[in-house]
Amino acid sequence: MKGTLTPSRLALISIVLGLLMIAALFAGCTQSTTTTPAATATPTAAATAVPTPVATTAPAVPTTVATTATPAPTYTPSQSNIVAFTAASLSGASKTIGPSFTAAYPGTTVSFNLDGTQNLKAQVENGAYADVFISASNAYTNTLNSEGYFVPNTVKTLTTNYIIVILPASNPANIQTLADLAKPGIKIAMEAKNVPAGTATLAVLNNLANDTYSQNWMNQTLANVVTYETSEPAVATKVSLGEVDAGFVYQSTATAAPTGTYQSITIPKKDNYLQTYTIGILKESKNQAQAGWFEQYMLSSAGQNILTQYGFTTPK
Amino acid sequence: MIPQRFRPKNYRQSLTYLVAGILIVAVTLYLALPILALFLRITPDEFFSALHDPEVTSALWLSLLTTVITLIIVIVIGTPFAYFHSRFSYPGKMVVDTLIDLPLVLPPAVAGVALLMLYGRVGLLGRYANMFGISIAFTTLAVIMAQIFVASPFYLRQAKSLFEQLDPAYEQTARTLGASSLRTMAQVTLPMTAGGLVSGAVMTFGRALGEFGATIMFAGNLPGVTQTMPLAVYVGMESDLSIGLTLSILLVIISFAIMIVVRLIQKREAGHA
Repeated sequence: MKGTLTPSRLALISIVLGLLMIAALFAGCTQSTTTTPAATATPTAAATAVPTPVATTAPAVPTTVATTATPAPTYTPSQSNIVAFTAASLSGASKTIGPSFTAAYPGTTVSFNLDGTQNLKAQVENGAYADVFISASNAYTNTLNSEGYFVPNTVKTLTTNYIIVILPASNPANIQTLADLAKPGIKIAMEAKNVPAGTATLAVLNNLANDTYSQNWMNQTLANVVTYETSEPAVATKVSLGEVDAGFVYQSTATAAPTGTYQSITIPKKDNYLQTYTIGILKESKNQAQAGWFEQYMLSSAGQNILTQYGFTTPK
Repeated sequence: MIPQRFRPKNYRQSLTYLVAGILIVAVTLYLALPILALFLRITPDEFFSALHDPEVTSALWLSLLTTVITLIIVIVIGTPFAYFHSRFSYPGKMVVDTLIDLPLVLPPAVAGVALLMLYGRVGLLGRYANMFGISIAFTTLAVIMAQIFVASPFYLRQAKSLFEQLDPAYEQTARTLGASSLRTMAQVTLPMTAGGLVSGAVMTFGRALGEFGATIMFAGNLPGVTQTMPLAVYVGMESDLSIGLTLSILLVIISFAIMIVVRLIQKREAGHA
């Protein structure tokens, strides 16, 4: 009969469909824009990278901090954009870093993907494209490095940060000391344990419990936690809104906030956890030269000054 | 290949079949392959051992508990509301109509922020509750409130249109025969709209189960209290892939079950009609 699906017609249709699918798969595999994850096979992170909750030891990465005052002479003007996967705690600083970098290297712009380092790591491991990776956690950096994502010898220490307790400006629960954090009925916001700031906070609580307060104090404090946020700025937001009585954040957040946003309680250095941020260039980067300029800029006094301005602590 | 059968009429029909075939295959694969990938990236051993993980069990239990409560509240309050809304015309009915649809297009995160601004400890209403020692944000109640906000439109719209389409003659006949309003509702109106109402309820259940943005903003993320399955998937995906995948698979299974229930109900409805 005319027009029916005969076997030969079916075969033709199947062949064409198959070819179209193969073509579509190829198109998806080779496409790589800045934000869509490429459909290439990447090693999946089976191991859970649990950062060790002890005071930071020297990371197994080179820790040279170059302090060049001027851009490197190898800079050639070009129109390009680099993608920087950046730990969320640099959200405020990134607003200044972007324009300053472009001013120093005209024609080169930076796009920041700001998120909890644990999310960024998962994205990279699943094929997301980035030129530069700024991590808030040594452990995550080491994992990515051992998985081969970084260009060798480009992982450098960028900056450091301590943990601090912030309170809403009105201090509704009248918290005066760290001991008050264990008072029944107060609400505390913290980062989830797989967020670098969360691991740091747990380490701090452990240190404080062992040195000054008791294990009971730590248990009570943890019992007062009402939410484990997935990034450090989210904790700061809940505190600034006054929805919780206290939150554990990075010192940079407290320093950089406009006066009157928070009250804060500092944690003694000996009990504190010094979070080390690292910067590195990813092997998948198609703009290795530009990524190198950005890294150099961040490590230079210009970049370091911006970070200090936002409350980060220059690494020693 | 088949040149002698390639007459203009057959050629057009073949083209139609071809385009139809491509579209069907493309759409089916686009929807099915990601779901398949979930199952293929985890081994049965990992799946069953993850089922014992306290994070998984607490998220599963909390999700089901809150979603069921949400559903009960939506049905108990929503059904009479939809009935009166459809039967009477009152000033502002159009505004209410629009508001019912609003959560459907509002991004969930926005819904969460809005709920927080109102019911949070320093919120416009929450501050008064706080004076009495009642906290709303960051509690299981907040989870339920967020779910009701985003999921109720599915039921309300369905119920509203069902009641609008139901011929008043049935109810009027029952009333003339001596049945009270309540009896009419229970024995005439509801049975006639039951199939559609159940479909709406099932859709509400599915939406409430999957709610993420409003929950994490308004209720926070605390295992056992406010960490529902979608939140646990999001948090689990970075720390332990097998937990994230296990929860995702559980959600897929529950979603499929919901779909099958809806299909069966619709089939029975058609059978009756």
